[in-house]
Amino acid sequence: MSGAEASFPPLDVTTGARSLRSRWQGARGFTETEVRVQTHETLALATSMIVQTVFIVFVWLLDRSILPFAMVGAVIFSVFQIGERVTNEAAYIRIDHRLTELYHASPLTPEAYFLGIAAGIMIAYLPPVVVLVVLAEIVHPMGLLAAGVFALSLVAIWLFAASLGYTFSTLFHDSRAIWPYSSLFYNAFGVLPPVFYPFVVWKAIIPAAVVPAGLLVPPSAAAALITWAEGLTPLSTGEVLTAAGSLTFFALATFAFAVHWARRMAREP
Amino acid sequence: MPEDAISAAGVRKTYRARGQPPVEALSGVSLRVGRGERVSLLGRNGAGKTTFLRIASTLLMPSSGRVEVFGRDVVRDPEGVRPLIAVVPQEGKPFFHLTPREQIYTYLRSRGFQRETAKSRTEEALGLMALEEVADRLNATLSGGQKQRAMVATVIATQAPLLFLDEPTIGLDPFARRGVWESLRRLTRMGSTILLTTHYLDEADVLSDRLYVIDRGQVVGQGTSEDLKRSTGGTLRVSFRGPFPDAKALRAEVQGTGRIMEDDQSLHIITSPERMEELLAIALRRKLAATVGPVTLEEAFLRLVGRSIEGEEHVGS
Repeated sequence: MSGAEASFPPLDVTTGARSLRSRWQGARGFTETEVRVQTHETLALATSMIVQTVFIVFVWLLDRSILPFAMVGAVIFSVFQIGERVTNEAAYIRIDHRLTELYHASPLTPEAYFLGIAAGIMIAYLPPVVVLVVLAEIVHPMGLLAAGVFALSLVAIWLFAASLGYTFSTLFHDSRAIWPYSSLFYNAFGVLPPVFYPFVVWKAIIPAAVVPAGLLVPPSAAAALITWAEGLTPLSTGEVLTAAGSLTFFALATFAFAVHWARRMAREP
Repeated sequence: MPEDAISAAGVRKTYRARGQPPVEALSGVSLRVGRGERVSLLGRNGAGKTTFLRIASTLLMPSSGRVEVFGRDVVRDPEGVRPLIAVVPQEGKPFFHLTPREQIYTYLRSRGFQRETAKSRTEEALGLMALEEVADRLNATLSGGQKQRAMVATVIATQAPLLFLDEPTIGLDPFARRGVWESLRRLTRMGSTILLTTHYLDEADVLSDRLYVIDRGQVVGQGTSEDLKRSTGGTLRVSFRGPFPDAKALRAEVQGTGRIMEDDQSLHIITSPERMEELLAIALRRKLAATVGPVTLEEAFLRLVGRSIEGEEHVGS
């Protein structure tokens, strides 16, 4: 534009059905946007570990025997919270900045936009989680199986929380109205079920009919699976399959729905 | 290659909300924008300008009608349309925690531009919008006008063949507005097409190759700015400023001197130079303040819409 004025590229842009790869291509660019946005919010990054740290300190003071459970719980809770941050961020971009239209009226696909927000937040908030994982490893060293189950479970939790968060964010016209739900989500999914405390405690205090819920709610299913793989929680084969099946189902189902929903919401009906 | 950048026929949009009567925001809008043109949609707030712009930019489904962008149907082929367009949304604000440089660069990256291209286009857009001095300051610390310029810069950096700008100069000071106008002119010189909405008459006048006047969801006038001015029936405007102690008698007295139009506090007569002295004599006799000037878009708008451009329409966005 400056100097010799160039002419625009020709209009023969590829149209029609886009390949699966091209549908996700812009996600990398938008992830870069979100990483930059998030890393400017240093206070939010610094305070993102407060709840988990407080829980760990309480456990340390009250009953050190369940510290390995609390460490695993802290990691799961952190990853759930990272995913769930998509709720506020997506609503903020759409409602307060009205920027979603800038991105939707562009080659960036709605699903790449959603994944870009989620991945950007995840990358920015990941370093403290890595520290937690290292601490968890020090408190109770993991074998190869446990490490694999740990990694896969965390991916599933992040996918579940981010997908749920993005979908939920589209239901509001006022970003302030969403704030209370964040607290509701992380308490309902991260604090009440056996995430920070052992599944056996849940089994002991909850009526038998409700016990399976601890293996169905994704964060507590992940906690049960990881601590089982670490040899900390005795689970029957049925319970392992229930937890693994539930975690996989919820992660994939909510992600598929979020992709479908993102495409649908890209154009107001 | 289609000649039209936008071709719209019979576009209707009815908003339906539970428990509320349906609101018809567009009632059969037909228009066309040729390649390389700068076209404005001019109308009061709520006239339907933004609704049309959002439909044409694939962000809103029409209730009926057809819109094509470079020959591609926006309803059936939105993914074919989106690489060809870029939109400055109404009241859009840049990310507060990015700098203008980061905002433009990352937007280009998300559209698929290579790093080097994105970098050079970012610098060009910053220069065009005179944002170099604040390029590395967080958007949160910029003035309202600078934020708006950052938004416009983000979009023009794409050099997309068709740009939609929804009230692009709202909140800008006169100097910044002229900066935006100049950059938009340059873009069209380079081959881009621009559709913008505005309710600033001066902006529509100086910036548009053609304009469409929209009122209550319908196109009520179209043409170049000069066409619309000519349609008022005269070349001069004599305005008597009220309040008038005897408005009825005044109207009777000026009858036949030209086209009479009224707004809140004034009586305007669109006339020819030959009748001017007669009208000024009436003003002197009645001791009324009178101004004389060339016919502007304001009179054309008043004639077409029946009200001044200030204020709100009853329909949705």
